[in-house]
Amino acid sequence: MTNSHAPLLETRQLELAYGAFKAVGGVDLRIHSGTIHTVIGPNGAGKTSLFHCLTGERRPTNGRILLDGRDITRQPAHGRVGLGMARSFQITSLFQELSVHENLRLAAQGVDGWKALNFWQRLDTRKRHIDTADEVLERLNLTERAGIPAGELSHGQQRILEVGMAICARPKLLLLDEPTSGMGIDDIPTMTRLIGELGKDHSILLIEHNMSIVMSISDTITVMNRGQVLVEGTPDSVRNDQRVREAYLGEAA
Amino acid sequence: MDTKTAAVASSAKRNGAAPLARPGRARWAPGTTLAMFGVVILLPVVLPSATLATEILIFAMAALACNLLLGYTGLLSFGQAIFFGAGAYCSALGMLHWQLGLFSALLLALSVGAVLALLVGLLCIRRKGIYFVMLTLALTQMAYFLAYTLSDWTGGDNGLLGVPRPPIALGGTTFVSLASPLAFYGLVAVLFAVIYIMARRITSSPFGSTLLAIRENEARAAALGYDIRLFKIMVFVLSGAITALAGALYAMLLNFAPLSNIELLMSEQILIMTIIGGTGSLFGSLLGAGSIVLLGDILSAIWPRWMLLLGVALIAVVIFMRGGLWGGLTSLLQRARRAASHDKEA
Amino acid sequence: MLNVYLFQVLNGLGLGMIYFLISVGLTLIFGLLNFVNFAHGAFFLLGSYLCYTLVTLTGNFWLALIAGPLVIAMLAWALERSLIQRIYHLPHTFQILVTLGIALIIQELSIMIWGPVGKSVPTPELLQGVVRFGNFAYPIYRLFLIAFSAGVAILLWLLLERTRFGALVRAGSESTEMVSLLGSNIFRLFSITFALGVGLAGLAGVLSAPLRGAHPFIGPEVLGLAFVVVVIGGMGSFSGALVAGLLVGVVQSLMTTLWPQGASLMIYAAMAVVILLRPYGLFGRA
Repeated sequence: MTNSHAPLLETRQLELAYGAFKAVGGVDLRIHSGTIHTVIGPNGAGKTSLFHCLTGERRPTNGRILLDGRDITRQPAHGRVGLGMARSFQITSLFQELSVHENLRLAAQGVDGWKALNFWQRLDTRKRHIDTADEVLERLNLTERAGIPAGELSHGQQRILEVGMAICARPKLLLLDEPTSGMGIDDIPTMTRLIGELGKDHSILLIEHNMSIVMSISDTITVMNRGQVLVEGTPDSVRNDQRVREAYLGEAA
Repeated sequence: MDTKTAAVASSAKRNGAAPLARPGRARWAPGTTLAMFGVVILLPVVLPSATLATEILIFAMAALACNLLLGYTGLLSFGQAIFFGAGAYCSALGMLHWQLGLFSALLLALSVGAVLALLVGLLCIRRKGIYFVMLTLALTQMAYFLAYTLSDWTGGDNGLLGVPRPPIALGGTTFVSLASPLAFYGLVAVLFAVIYIMARRITSSPFGSTLLAIRENEARAAALGYDIRLFKIMVFVLSGAITALAGALYAMLLNFAPLSNIELLMSEQILIMTIIGGTGSLFGSLLGAGSIVLLGDILSAIWPRWMLLLGVALIAVVIFMRGGLWGGLTSLLQRARRAASHDKEA
Repeated sequence: MLNVYLFQVLNGLGLGMIYFLISVGLTLIFGLLNFVNFAHGAFFLLGSYLCYTLVTLTGNFWLALIAGPLVIAMLAWALERSLIQRIYHLPHTFQILVTLGIALIIQELSIMIWGPVGKSVPTPELLQGVVRFGNFAYPIYRLFLIAFSAGVAILLWLLLERTRFGALVRAGSESTEMVSLLGSNIFRLFSITFALGVGLAGLAGVLSAPLRGAHPFIGPEVLGLAFVVVVIGGMGSFSGALVAGLLVGVVQSLMTTLWPQGASLMIYAAMAVVILLRPYGLFGRA
């Protein structure tokens, strides 16, 4: 374990309040390099709010977010990509009318920040982005479908592409928001395998509902409840924790 | 419960301005540039007057600029008249009061258009969807009433009369007089071709591909690292500068800068040309402007209510033919090609 | 001097009530259907012309007052069933384009039928002349206009607040899903609301005809003002449309004595400022 090193991503007393209601109420999270770190919790636990703070969609009302020791709390969403963070969406969010390849190429180009403002160079001279897209296509097993509009992929393939676009940026940290959400039972193993493989090259923060996936691929699990961290530990320790069971049972009751 | 799902699905789709047509630029790009040159050369030969041909290219320029906003970035703006009108007024005032030459006047229009578009863009991109549209509408109305109020400068309702058309000159030496309609057409044609090729280049650059991404899905584009506001402002500036240039040329063509240049109806007219021609296709803008200016010229004498047809065409484009004239043409071409290859096989 | 201002304020109230009638339809349609109707001004125009024709044919303004809006509402109903319903699911851009097309068609058809020059409509006999309060005289028709529109506003408020239909419209403005869950036929509700909203624009056209006549190119101007009112009042807000309509009417009326050219400039500037600072309007909820 790499716990002795500085974490890749760290939040300090992160808080997101809507009026008196604290969706995230002072969370300290430490995500270490090379791990798959999953955040789980019953509905309304604050997972999604936490995720939104990390991606930059929401500005936290208090606390700090550090990436590699650098404060990114006030960094806008698009600015975080260049610093090494990329995300996927819970509800598939693609460029529906553009080709699968163009979706990935755009994802690779986005990391370049200001260079994407180049309005004079022709696209085919930007070989690096095309190569990245080809490479990721291969990895996603979508090479044969490269030319068709993303909207015409099957639902499962769209979910795969959704995750694929996040890795085009070659990020240090991948933020995956319920990658299996809405997926058919037949497609889930493919996604699980993909995330597992990605975990070898990337650090991953995962939000996921499907417990069998969570337990099988996570290195660390953080359980949230009512906007706060309830328990954190390995899959085994979390599985047997009484407080976690109560939190989930409380939801069921 | 069908209605429920339909209603929910529909409300989910409503946010943002989705594309009208999918740009098919890759396949046809070299062909359309050639076709553009063909049209530009043939227009004054085929049409009864060079003035009519000039008007077509001026509006094609304005439609092309509008297309960069609407077709490529998905921004439906009623603000184009601000730039068109400002370009006309500023170049005219520059020539009348400061004796500006041709190119200085055009350059003035370009810069005024760019600066105004920067301001309008900075304000408008703070809002999305219907609020964006409403904001562009309010700003255009403000510009109109401002021009109306400042009648000492703009001539108010009467318009600005006696706008000159200076010759192409350098350091006091006159090279070409633009007094003849054909000579002026030559100038407009060259400017149009340059802008067309520039726009083609821009739309197939990383910048252009990002505009399409923004049009398709703004949230995703932002998540991929693109600074959406920056891109939108840049495309506003680009579009505003070109539109102002078109406005300046229009004033020179008419020797007159009417108040209607800066009216909401001018924005609508430019939008209609863009949409009927085909959003997302630069050549479509030429088609749209060409067919509408021509139709107006032919029909307005015999049937003053020809604008009725534009209303019908607008509805038809949305319901049946999202690609506009250009979309219709390409699908016809494709069908013909397919039929031809069938014949060969048989 | 004071009388001049009083006169302008009263004029402004009348104008404001007309603005309210136009805008409340636009805002209702936007609130429930999330639909942007750029043809709204054209229906106002049609109302004015129908009033002209009915008054010319029958000499009866009261008939025009009842039949005009009804005919327009029926027209709107048919249009909604045949065309508008197909584009609810499309993004606003498309709705704007289609309704812009409809506005053009109505405008050009009106010119074909009634000619390119405006028509004037006589004030109904019963409402001719002025009322005197001391040395202050005010036209009866303008007073009637204020009172009648106020009556319509109250009826409309009762309809929205006290009936099942109103409850559905209000619920639907919150969430379309909710209405479907209530088991109501949402599409019928849409049709009725669209017809009602457009009919109100027609009513405004009829009411303003004796004052301003019918003009073929008034559509865009009316639409623009309706947007000002709807935006300032908050899109989808009934009370917002009322307050903002009166505000715009009175301000515009007072400005005509002070700085006529500046009136419109100021009104659109206000609209822009509201969108930038309070996009949900001065009276709408965030």
